Amino acid sequence: MNQPSAPNDIRRDLVALLPKMRRFALALAGAAAEADDLVREACARAIQKSHHWKGEGRLESWLYSMVRSLWTDEAKKRKGMRDAAAEPGDDAFGKPAAMLVGMPEGLAASFLLVDVEGFTYAEAADILGIPVRVLTSRLCAARLRLAAIGVEATERRA
Amino acid sequence: MTETSKEIDIRLSTFIDGEIGEEERHEVEALLVNDPQARASQDALKRGRDFGRHAFDEMLKEPVPLDLVRAIKTAPQPRRAVRLPQASRPNFSMKPTGRQALACGLLLFVVGGAFGYMLGAPPLAAPSPDALASVSENRDWLEDVAAHYRLYSRQGPHLAELPAGKPADILDWLTTNTGVAFRIPDLGESGLAFQGARLFSAAGIPAGQLFYKSAEGEVIAIVFTKSRPTVNPATESIRDDIGVVSWSTPLATYAIVGPSSNPSLDEIAAKAAGLI
Repeated sequence: MNQPSAPNDIRRDLVALLPKMRRFALALAGAAAEADDLVREACARAIQKSHHWKGEGRLESWLYSMVRSLWTDEAKKRKGMRDAAAEPGDDAFGKPAAMLVGMPEGLAASFLLVDVEGFTYAEAADILGIPVRVLTSRLCAARLRLAAIGVEATERRA
Repeated sequence: MTETSKEIDIRLSTFIDGEIGEEERHEVEALLVNDPQARASQDALKRGRDFGRHAFDEMLKEPVPLDLVRAIKTAPQPRRAVRLPQASRPNFSMKPTGRQALACGLLLFVVGGAFGYMLGAPPLAAPSPDALASVSENRDWLEDVAAHYRLYSRQGPHLAELPAGKPADILDWLTTNTGVAFRIPDLGESGLAFQGARLFSAAGIPAGQLFYKSAEGEVIAIVFTKSRPTVNPATESIRDDIGVVSWSTPLATYAIVGPSSNPSLDEIAAKAAGLI
């Protein structure tokens, strides 16, 4: 009997990683529409270049690097337009997301990679294309800012 | 905030992650023992980390846009460039003698004449109507399979004609009407529970349909019929929001049908193919 094969198809991995890719793209771009455009473009590129992926390390690392690279190119083209696009609260991801990505540029992505995704400082800095020293500083700033946001949120609820 | 306190915060932050040298670690530990302000900062850093983690985890609960999923699943795979091993090419100098040039000219004349004669000859036979019809029938079959899934997967309590509790009746009924001997696959490993079966007509031929449900209420169907035009190797196609993975054996044609957003349809198909 000819059974259908389950080939090692990167498209299946991409679909499974979509929520995480969107979250990372949102941390970079600050707005859901831009994040989805980045993810769409990155996925198309990943499929085209899938033969470069040798299965070593985490696939997310390769994909996030691609998203970040696309975002850097995009940011150069549209310098200064981010603040207008990223209206806090005006987003498909809801209020908590708007609060996170409303932090100064670079903080959310650094925090996400290290504290949520579990990358080492070196790996995260590599993905973001920044020196470890800068990542360390951004991570610290993000944690302190999030602590303040958390306190505000608790007080508001009380 | 002074530069010094900022630097202390950064050291405390790296200390939390263990990304700090041995000597520096001892310094930070001593600082935490002696300086209440440092302890407060470290608590704030940890609170921020926990709050941020929770908030980012919440973001994963947002539904993924279906068009993104479709864009990925329908994207063509790139062709791989295959480089065949080649023997090193011997050096060849292009200096023909007069005789060689004449022989070459004659050879080219003969080959050119033959090529021209073939071009002028009546065209080769067009693809047979049978071949065209089989492609068209296969497309119709998949359309019917997707259409029936779309209709019945939304019927809630009326999903199946015969419920899962009557497996012997299902086997007898569908085998008799479709002419396909089959077993009811247990897809519990894929988180799918058998719900029952239906009989319908796809491209004018009886087809059996076995329904399964996931814990989230997602309906997956296995469809089988007497052998259709070959669909090997297994192929996945998308009809709007429905994904169909189909494959053939010498005796029957099968398909797994489900939401196109389900990334595991081909895995389920592989399991079902081994069990049915």
